[in-house]
Amino acid sequence: MAEHLLALRAAVMRRERVSHSTLHFFAYAFIALCLVFAAIAMATGDVFFFRLATEALIFGGLALAVDILLGYTGLLSLGQALFFGYGAYVSGLVLKEIEPSFWTAMGIVLVTATAFGAIAGIIAIRARGVYFALITFGLAQVVSKIVFNTRELGASDGIIGIPVIKTDFLLFQVDTGHAPSFFLLVLSIIVGLYFLVAYVMGTPFGRTLVAIRANESRVPFLGFHPWRYKLAAFILAANVAALSGALYPMLRGFVSPELMFFQVSGNAVIMVIIGGVGTLIGPLYGAAILTGLKSVIGTFTEHHLIVIGMLFVLSVIFFPKGLVGHARPRIERILAARGRES
Amino acid sequence: MISTDPPILSVRDLSVRFGALVAVNAVSFDAMRGHITSVIGPNGAGKSTLFNLISGAIRPSSGRVVFEGQDVTGAPPYRMLAAGLSRSFQITNLFFELSVYENLRLAAQFLEGATRALKPVSRSRLAQERVERLIEQFRLQHQAHELAGYLSHGEQRRLEIAVALACRPRVLLLDEPTQGMSHADTAETEEMIKSLAGELSILLIEHDVDLVMNLSDHVVVMHQGAKLAEGPPAEVRANPAVQAAYFGDAHHA
Repeated sequence: MAEHLLALRAAVMRRERVSHSTLHFFAYAFIALCLVFAAIAMATGDVFFFRLATEALIFGGLALAVDILLGYTGLLSLGQALFFGYGAYVSGLVLKEIEPSFWTAMGIVLVTATAFGAIAGIIAIRARGVYFALITFGLAQVVSKIVFNTRELGASDGIIGIPVIKTDFLLFQVDTGHAPSFFLLVLSIIVGLYFLVAYVMGTPFGRTLVAIRANESRVPFLGFHPWRYKLAAFILAANVAALSGALYPMLRGFVSPELMFFQVSGNAVIMVIIGGVGTLIGPLYGAAILTGLKSVIGTFTEHHLIVIGMLFVLSVIFFPKGLVGHARPRIERILAARGRES
Repeated sequence: MISTDPPILSVRDLSVRFGALVAVNAVSFDAMRGHITSVIGPNGAGKSTLFNLISGAIRPSSGRVVFEGQDVTGAPPYRMLAAGLSRSFQITNLFFELSVYENLRLAAQFLEGATRALKPVSRSRLAQERVERLIEQFRLQHQAHELAGYLSHGEQRRLEIAVALACRPRVLLLDEPTQGMSHADTAETEEMIKSLAGELSILLIEHDVDLVMNLSDHVVVMHQGAKLAEGPPAEVRANPAVQAAYFGDAHHA
């Protein structure tokens, strides 16, 4: 083979390795930060911050789902909390009424969220751009109002009294009532979802989603049916949101219709933008930042939303690519330089 | 040129109406395997609409498209591509925010087939080799990592053709490939199209009459949505009706 082609192949592989390891660098750093936090919180015997950090991770899963649609497929979902709340309700009902089992709850959520995501997706992906955003917003509003008014689902109170569960994993047991171990369980699940989604985005399927975001009109002329890919992305995002939501009642012991409200969907979009659109790991950072800020600022003033709103505006102006998007080229340069040395 | 082979692509009485406008009116012609068949005509003659009908971008109101003996009338673009027919666009239609390499890999991804849909693209050998071959053929080595949106016009036009070729089609529809190209680039593109014909059957829309006359085995002339004439280049050029409608009376008076 010609020398310049070998050089090209090597250059392509080097670039892909660097961009791959850069994103995973942020993932490992995130895990490390979580573990450091866990060690400190455990040493001080804290429960409140453990619960708060667990909640941040759970909402990070929702933000990850938003990024699949926004960052890769180019679809802005303003109603992703619909699936998050759906997962939370199904999980809560299963734990309370059917069987207090982690695996049963997650399994039922996975299967039914796929069906629910497919139905909602067929409705939503008919539209593009702002119309897609409005349809997802509308679907979430309709369903949340129905839940809010359904007495069998606890109406405005939601479902309370969801039992603490104990789950056996091969070597150890996790008790959802034990803050540190449940935190570590949620961390493994959310990070596991991240790695799964990151893998999928590196496959021809994921690249086709990127092509749809970049220029949907050309995609059919490359042999791919955009509708199928968008629907599959929608179902994937519904599942990621629902599985994250399914962890919520295990943490808090209740679910409420507010979980499906626009506030939750909107926060998820903010988390994605703060952390970095199209980075997948950025949304987890964004969730940690937003949840942390809300809690910290909330202790000083009840008008914390004003402060957060202003911080959001400033971060969009000065860091339009978000935290990870902003730091990525710097880390990439470091990793590329190190790759050349070795 | 008389050939006993069946045509690779047959268009029969193909029409499309947009409201009261008949954009393409009962057009019929055959494209032979390995040949360059050109469609010419003044602006608004319906050439690009004809391409849109054949490639599945829009559905015809009536008529038939037969590809390798199969009726593919109204099949959507991704089916046409799977059948072996690919196209380029008059107005450059690329993934501008992605690199040249990624543009080509997306297009070559089709070669890997659905069974590999969940294996990382970094391990797609077939696509990788195809992309490398195209980068060399279209002299894009130095632009491989540039974003397609940052290329010069001539480079974008080359990439446009390369993307259409990546899936190894049997029929390639080129919609004004030299549009806006410099003289040197046009000459080079002419050579490239000539070298592609043979293993590939080409359907070409061109404004550059000299280029069409040099390259084509067969020329179809369209005027106001209908076919005005067809035949070998020399015959078409000599046709008085074609001269009146296209080359202009004054020019040949």
